Amino acid sequence: MIMSDDFPNRTILVAEDDPISSRILEKKLKSWGYKTLLAKDGRGAWEALQRPDVRLALLDWMMPGADGPEICRRIREGKKANYTYILLLTGRDEPQDIIVGLQAGADDYMIKPVNFLELKARLQTGQRIIDLEDKLLQTQAQLTELATKDGLTKLWNRTFIIKFLDEELVRAWRTSSPLSLIMLDLDSFKKINDERGHQTGDKVLMRIAEILTKGVRPYDKIGRYGGDELIIVLPNCDLGSVCLIAERLRRACAAERIRANGKAIKVTISAGCVSSDHLVRLTGDRMIQASDKALYRSKVAGRNRVSAFPIQKTRARKRTT
Amino acid sequence: MTADSGIPMNKAEALDRLDGDKTFLQELLNIYAAEYAEKTGAMENAIRAADFRAIRDLGHGLKGSSANLSLPRLQDAAFDMETAGLEKDLEGALKALNRLGHEYRRLKDFLGTP
Repeated sequence: MIMSDDFPNRTILVAEDDPISSRILEKKLKSWGYKTLLAKDGRGAWEALQRPDVRLALLDWMMPGADGPEICRRIREGKKANYTYILLLTGRDEPQDIIVGLQAGADDYMIKPVNFLELKARLQTGQRIIDLEDKLLQTQAQLTELATKDGLTKLWNRTFIIKFLDEELVRAWRTSSPLSLIMLDLDSFKKINDERGHQTGDKVLMRIAEILTKGVRPYDKIGRYGGDELIIVLPNCDLGSVCLIAERLRRACAAERIRANGKAIKVTISAGCVSSDHLVRLTGDRMIQASDKALYRSKVAGRNRVSAFPIQKTRARKRTT
Repeated sequence: MTADSGIPMNKAEALDRLDGDKTFLQELLNIYAAEYAEKTGAMENAIRAADFRAIRDLGHGLKGSSANLSLPRLQDAAFDMETAGLEKDLEGALKALNRLGHEYRRLKDFLGTP
């Protein structure tokens, strides 16, 4: 049995130039629990269909501006993220019209004046399709999350961050803009794990990830490279700027007292920075290697510091020696 | 087309479609009156201009409104207008316009409205 709350708050577009038909449909649909949106012509219908909450539509075949099949064609060719279930209403009853309507992208078709019990049941079919699509999209989003994010820190995983680095390098070459990379790790992280347990180590790592995420620009990406090694890819950022950002992140981490098991833990990070700003045909692998060397330099210099790797200058020196 | 029962309106059928809501039926009849006046005025202009597409569309629109309110004779007359537009038949359009006027007066008599 169909109840009035079968369609809780679902918005439906009624595109109908006949005011009587429009008013009857509006009243019926509201009594079934829909929120209605009315359009009197093709232009109004097209505008309403751009709204993400409009997933169900009743379109009249003949309307000023653009007819129902034309709007169907346009919506199917468009880039709307979610599917819109379209039911065409018409006074026409020629089989050829039905074919035209369905080929244009309509999901269903009813002859006017409509039988309301039938309309209600057909809209339920549309609702089932929309619900199914929502579930599929939700599952897809969950799978994407699993495939690209690190389960512990919620940072990007190694595969994703390396792919992002490679893509951004291509963009940097094309646009002649600098791309920078920071590799960092937690100082004495093994000691934290050994002395306080891995669960504490996990909490520390998660908190550091949060601090770093807050500290970078919205378009930078942070990934877990492995263990406690993290890398940050910073598009359109030169060596001077990346060193300033890395230093800011280092300070933010050093200022934090991370609480775990009732104790406050002070954690510092060491970082190595590299930038593509004056390098030619640099690969992602080489940037990672270079930042790793800079990170090593921070470690041997006493930890809790930032080092840069000016690859070009180093190479030049090597060639001259 | 809907069978012509001879009466201008199948009120029982219209009320059945509206779940017996007489107030709502009256609201729709008021909308229809305004719609009828606007569309027949536009039909006169379209006939004068021999705008057959407008004749067809106006006939089609009034046909739908009439069908929704179970007005079979007005629905038939509006269908004649739509057909005249399709067939580019000015004489047929004039006849349909006269028939619409006649049927509308019959409807008003039937409903007891001035």
